[in-house]
Amino acid sequence: MSRSKVRLLHGPPFENQKLLGAILTDKSYELIEHTADVGIRVKGKDLRGLFNNAALAMFDIIGEPAPIPSATSVKEIPKFKVNIRQKAENLEELFVNWLNELLSLSSAKGLMFVDFVINKLDRNKLEAQVYGEKIKNYRVNTEIKAATYHELKVQEVSGGWQAEVIFDV
Amino acid sequence: MSDTKVHLEKIDDFRWRIPKGYKPGMKVEGIIYADEKILKDVHEDKALEQVANVAFLPGIVKYSLAMPDIHWGYGFPIGGVAATDIEAGGVVSPGGVGFDINCGVRLVKTDLRYEEIKDKIKELVYALFSDVPTGVGSKGDIRVSAKEEKEILIKGSKWAVEKGYGTLEDLECTEENGAISGADPAAVSERAYERGKAQSGTLGSGNHFLEVQVIDQLYDRDICDELGLDMGQIMLMIHSGSRGFGYQICDDYVRQMMPCLQKYNIHVPDRQLVSAPVNSPEAKEYLGAMRCAANYAWNNRQCLMHLARNVFERIFGMGWQKMGMHLIYDVAHNIAKIEKYVVDGREKSLCVHRKGATRAFPPGHPALPQKYKKIGQPVIIPGDMGRNSYLLVGTEKAAETFYSTCHGAGRVKSRTAATKTIRLDVLLKELESKGIIVKATGRGTIVEEAPQAYKDVNDVVDVVHNAGISKRVCRMRPLGVIKG
Repeated sequence: MSRSKVRLLHGPPFENQKLLGAILTDKSYELIEHTADVGIRVKGKDLRGLFNNAALAMFDIIGEPAPIPSATSVKEIPKFKVNIRQKAENLEELFVNWLNELLSLSSAKGLMFVDFVINKLDRNKLEAQVYGEKIKNYRVNTEIKAATYHELKVQEVSGGWQAEVIFDV
Repeated sequence: MSDTKVHLEKIDDFRWRIPKGYKPGMKVEGIIYADEKILKDVHEDKALEQVANVAFLPGIVKYSLAMPDIHWGYGFPIGGVAATDIEAGGVVSPGGVGFDINCGVRLVKTDLRYEEIKDKIKELVYALFSDVPTGVGSKGDIRVSAKEEKEILIKGSKWAVEKGYGTLEDLECTEENGAISGADPAAVSERAYERGKAQSGTLGSGNHFLEVQVIDQLYDRDICDELGLDMGQIMLMIHSGSRGFGYQICDDYVRQMMPCLQKYNIHVPDRQLVSAPVNSPEAKEYLGAMRCAANYAWNNRQCLMHLARNVFERIFGMGWQKMGMHLIYDVAHNIAKIEKYVVDGREKSLCVHRKGATRAFPPGHPALPQKYKKIGQPVIIPGDMGRNSYLLVGTEKAAETFYSTCHGAGRVKSRTAATKTIRLDVLLKELESKGIIVKATGRGTIVEEAPQAYKDVNDVVDVVHNAGISKRVCRMRPLGVIKG
């Protein structure tokens, strides 16, 4: 996903109602109401698409690109590559591990991940290369502490895969 | 999202029961501390279901408890308390502590009076906002070397005091003297170190805050006299936790403990309640790491108080001792502790989980410093940024809740609903008209944390006071708030 596409999901600052509307009509993910935390329902044409869209949705909740100084072009913003390997007992655990590994790396390395290349994915194993930009180039809206197992669902639906996950924020 | 199917039996005006038979697999009943008014909100989400789920934990003693600030969390409800009998195979659950290990509050008194400083409050709040690092992933000015990072995990607040960021009196007035024993740095992953690096002395984001308050109501004159508190006095409250360091430890151990469900034959209806017997190697390792995070958090709040004292010194031109800026108390509200209780006539070691609940030891308890032996443990209850906060003390009656009480107001409205229905400019005007200045790093934080998103803390405190599980001492109202 390019930087400009990430931006399309957002309305202008302080017009949060519009922002939510934009997310819902975009259909990339929906927010699930939760009293204290934030949940999402996200879809993908296949499993890779689901993992990719869930990661995009998570970082979309976390923040948005800060305005770029006019002299800088999008191409000049450096991206940093990180390799991820995850193993799990089952698909749901793999899904939560994937999101938590991204959150952990994002926080430890000060990166906002914007691009996800998933090379291998089955029910127990994932290998991916993810690309992040320095978080200082972003306006951070919400700190996500972790993805949780509470009410977690990862299932095949007509036309692809769907997941529901609640984040501790 | 409502949970109307959970039928509650009334025990008395402040206690309600979820019968053990509500769900097959519950080992004990659930008890919720609430009055009729609070109960209406409680039925609105899935918190009661979570109280029932916690009752599945192996070795749980007496009941799965919820305080009146109960709301829907993940795994445990927020406001949940559960004690497990270690000898009887009782478990510890990282989800019963949460990701923000030792999230907690500290309350600092001053001898400054509102009437004397009211013209300087804006300057004070802006200076606090400028000097205290806030926001997601914020990094602090307090520099800590890699070797010192490990020292903090053992020494807790003592590390800061040795650096000159506080006094021995501060340690005396902190739960566990600011350092719980049994911390094991070897149980902490490299990633946790990396994630927690440079975050000592930073406030964080979300509902964390630093608040300048004024005492606006006294309830127990004798205890107020004992603590040197009076109407119109300026107070400072700090709410923060173990930052990225604690999140990583919880994440690591929820993951590592997953196989324990099968290994120890544990049946829980929600995988976020993953757990292991306290005496198992897996649990010992978790507790060793959790205690590191707890010590990290106490040191963090000590550093934050030091930064705040420096700001007060600059603005008012005198030393903090001269302003009487003494720590009243610092207490955790996300933690698991091994404590001794008499159960059915026998003294037992229990693992008490407090997930959004505050320890409230009674007068005379051996864990209290000498100065609080007579009055009981100070309990600090932060409210939302537009209403009040409270100072309470522990009571003997709270033996029925494993000496636990509420921890705050408790949310009623989701962050997304708050964002949809509350306008930032209107909210800021409303707060300003009440004389409350708010400064925040994240543009969404103020709206998400608006008073409308919370229960009225006054109602919550009424319940714990009237149920007798803690006692009101005094009430504060906010003057200035800084948030992440």
